[in-house]
Amino acid sequence: MSELSFKPVSLGADVEQRSRPSLSYWQDAWLRLQANKRAFVSLFVVVGMVLFAFVGPVFWRIDPHAQDLDQTSKPPWEDRRALIVAPYQPWSGVSASSPEGDYVAPRSLEIVGDATTTFVRLVWDPVPVASGYRIYRQIVEPQSGEPLGLPLGTVHDGSVSFEDRLDIRPRTYWYSVVALDERGEEFPEATTIEVEAVFATTVANAIERGYVSNPESLSVGSTIHVPLHPFGTDYLGRDMLARLMEGARISLFIGIVAPFLFVIAGVVYGSIAGFLGGNLDHVLMRFADFVIALPFLLFMILFKLLFGIGPGESGILPMLVALVLLSWPGAARLVRGEILKIREEGYVDASRLLGTHTSRLIMRHMIPNTMGVVLVTFTFAVPSAIFTEAFLSFIGMGVTAPTASWGSMCNDGIKTMESTPHELIFPALFISVTVLAFNLLGDGLRDALDARMRYGE
Amino acid sequence: MSDTLIPSSPPAKPFKEEVSRGSAWQLAKYALVGLLFFVVLLALLGLVTANSAAGTRSTSAVDYATNTITLTLSSEPPQLNSTRSTDMVSGMVLGHVMEGLLRFGPDNNLIPGIAESWELDELGGTFRIRSDAYWSNGTQVTAHDFVFAWQTAVNPETASQYAFILFPIKNGQRINEGELPIEELGARALDDFTLEVELEQATPYFLKLLAFFTYYPINKEFYLSTGGRYGADAEDLIYNGPFRIASWVHGASVRLEKNEYYWNRDETKLDAIDFAYILNDANAVLNLFATRKIVFAGLNSENLDRALKNRWRIQEHVDGSVFFLELNHRPDRLTSNYNLRKALQLVHDPAELVYKVMKLPGNLPGESIFPVWLRGVHGSFRDEYPGPRFVQDEVKAREHLAMALDELGLDELPPLMFLTGDNPVSNKQSEYYQRLYKEKLGIEVKIDKQIFKQRLAKMTSGDFDIVAAGWGPDYDDVLTFGDLFASWNANNRGRYENPELDKHVAIAQSSSDPVERMEAMDQVQKILHDDVAILVQYERGSVYVSDSRVKGVSRRAVGTDPDYTRAYIVQEENE
Repeated sequence: MSELSFKPVSLGADVEQRSRPSLSYWQDAWLRLQANKRAFVSLFVVVGMVLFAFVGPVFWRIDPHAQDLDQTSKPPWEDRRALIVAPYQPWSGVSASSPEGDYVAPRSLEIVGDATTTFVRLVWDPVPVASGYRIYRQIVEPQSGEPLGLPLGTVHDGSVSFEDRLDIRPRTYWYSVVALDERGEEFPEATTIEVEAVFATTVANAIERGYVSNPESLSVGSTIHVPLHPFGTDYLGRDMLARLMEGARISLFIGIVAPFLFVIAGVVYGSIAGFLGGNLDHVLMRFADFVIALPFLLFMILFKLLFGIGPGESGILPMLVALVLLSWPGAARLVRGEILKIREEGYVDASRLLGTHTSRLIMRHMIPNTMGVVLVTFTFAVPSAIFTEAFLSFIGMGVTAPTASWGSMCNDGIKTMESTPHELIFPALFISVTVLAFNLLGDGLRDALDARMRYGE
Repeated sequence: MSDTLIPSSPPAKPFKEEVSRGSAWQLAKYALVGLLFFVVLLALLGLVTANSAAGTRSTSAVDYATNTITLTLSSEPPQLNSTRSTDMVSGMVLGHVMEGLLRFGPDNNLIPGIAESWELDELGGTFRIRSDAYWSNGTQVTAHDFVFAWQTAVNPETASQYAFILFPIKNGQRINEGELPIEELGARALDDFTLEVELEQATPYFLKLLAFFTYYPINKEFYLSTGGRYGADAEDLIYNGPFRIASWVHGASVRLEKNEYYWNRDETKLDAIDFAYILNDANAVLNLFATRKIVFAGLNSENLDRALKNRWRIQEHVDGSVFFLELNHRPDRLTSNYNLRKALQLVHDPAELVYKVMKLPGNLPGESIFPVWLRGVHGSFRDEYPGPRFVQDEVKAREHLAMALDELGLDELPPLMFLTGDNPVSNKQSEYYQRLYKEKLGIEVKIDKQIFKQRLAKMTSGDFDIVAAGWGPDYDDVLTFGDLFASWNANNRGRYENPELDKHVAIAQSSSDPVERMEAMDQVQKILHDDVAILVQYERGSVYVSDSRVKGVSRRAVGTDPDYTRAYIVQEENE
């Protein structure tokens, strides 16, 4: 073997060829998250939800607790025109003595004034031999011989008028009047009138509620447009969008703060158990098993008592404490498993042989290598915490009136599911979308952060 | 690079194909087996439920063959010992299976029940018991049964919450307070069929009390034979009313069947009333009605539109109760301040509450503690003595609030506790009041939602500032509402004390002059309003749908409601 067998290598560019730029672990994860369409869209949804909750109220400045009893349970697509009417004055009604003669069906049923959502006033001609009249209201046109709808009331003593103020909505109604005989039984014939009720408000109310910007232009009889409620209003006329924002703050607060705290607790606990190992590990992990077995709801009630949370006060703090104190073992178990595995890795032994200090070992090798697992645990813990909050508020253990949370809004909305579905659909949709987004994001993060997954692709 | 890291991984292509073909077959097989299993399971379940349903209950609202109607109960009776019952469901069931001296007839007037006839003067009377009245075990109903029941009810050991309703009987109150032995009660059986009653003082409404369930008789021998379980189960009761309880499955159903021992059995047309469901969810009840499983369903503001669209016949019923906000008058409470109460009153708008918040058809905005249906001297009490009129006035309300803060020496009012029930209607109301007082007066209100029992406990101990309360009439006289805020009444939860009011109540209790009594009651409603003892909210009414094939059902404000004792089934032509 001569000298010529060896040739010095020139340090040229072809020594090291990179097909791709060098990427750090996080850069690589980010790239792969971007490649995952579902997860990336979910990331935007999550960011959007956070903005909605915390920046939204800056732009949508409606008090979520302000009630507008004239516009209750109003779906977003409902007509926004409002007629300006004079303030409500009690009505003495109309009386007439019954004419002589034989029974005839009530005639000339008419409305007095405008038929508005404030009131509908009816008058009719007196009927011979009638001892009184019963007034009905129906929302579909009554066919002859069919029931006349909702009995609104009965009038006696020569009164031939009736004022209806019961929850009139801007829609078509059919009012019917039936005469009663001396025993109070109804005569068979009814007189029906079709009435189109329009949404009405008073000048004072329009100004107080801020329906218009220029109060001078208001006059009785003019028509204005009431401000839009993009998600409608609830059963007390509160703006659903403002309430959804308030609910988002509660949900995201619980959903992010609670998992953040208990995942940190779990990481610390799990690393100690995993790193030290042996009997201590045994004892620590059996304690974690014990905590898993504790019933959440019971502890939530106990904390409520412990903190002296009286009736009518928010249960969010005890909920947070109960969540943190009872949910950490999941994260602790995962982290302990990871640490146990990493501890046996070659690079850890190498590092140890080189004389690395234990604290640096943990900080440099252990923790960063468990980050993937931790982050994934966190993203999966968020939806479950949001769900817990929604559930507890749904059963009345969470927020208290007038504060809204998505769960309590669902609880209110479910009662009117059939008549005004928007009160249930919107909060339910927000819960579902947020929970789904966090779950998909967690899925994507797991794929992106797990370095080994890429070879299996 | 990858090959070296995962050396075990075999060549990809052929393996994948093999797997996919095999797994497709496997998947299909699993799916088939799963589907079969599911179908079999469903069929089995269907078979099981069909069998059990056929065995225990009729499945339709009206069963012509067995002459049975099916209904729901909103809750289960805690027990059916008439001396200890307090709730409306128990009262309704007891009204079908028991009978007192008198009962309410189809036109809601008092008719003879177990008593055939009676003579009554100011301070007592004699009742003649019918000789053909029997208990469902065949023993005769005697005057002794009434004496025993009444003595048991006032016995302090029974701790009956309704003992006070027997206080008009001589020594009733003192026995209940433990001052006298129960034998001293002013009710004696002269013989098996003659009952003599002595009254404490003149009680013009005494006859009206006799139809109330605390006045029902109890057979002593049977009562003692149950060993303290009287009324706990169907076997622990005997019946003297139109029906008897044939089965009582706790938490599930109560079935009444015609009582063949009832003296007036010919008037009972139905063979059985099946309370097949114990259910409190209004929508679930309406679903049962829509599928013709039950004959009666109450409506609320949420499901009213559904009934209207289905064109069902909707009926109205005023149940006689009055609801009000009771303010706490105990001296250590803020609400004991008159000006604060006045401020709360001046922004209180019952019409808005009824028409815009509760939206429950049938309710009337409250005007007075005395509801519209009460009778006055000749006609309606409301017509003769109209309720106090007042108008809302925010400006005056704020003036009163300022005065109140001045008197209390406060800059700002601490939050008021609003005690309320935990049902949808209460929730809506309390949130409305919370906002109303915040918006108009700047007063913070905290809502304390409690279940009925807990709410009652808190009301009794005075742990509230404002409580949403209601009162249903026990007997058909103004006094059933009139004495509610007398200082001695245990149901005066706000501990309102006013000697002036007490004086007027005493007049109404003892006077037999109707005009004097009604005028005293008029003073009571004026005092309650002027001194803001309470804030009247509404008179409860309800709307309901009922099966048109069932006739003869009575609804009433006082007494058994709804009353099916004389109901009957008519067959519809198209069936």
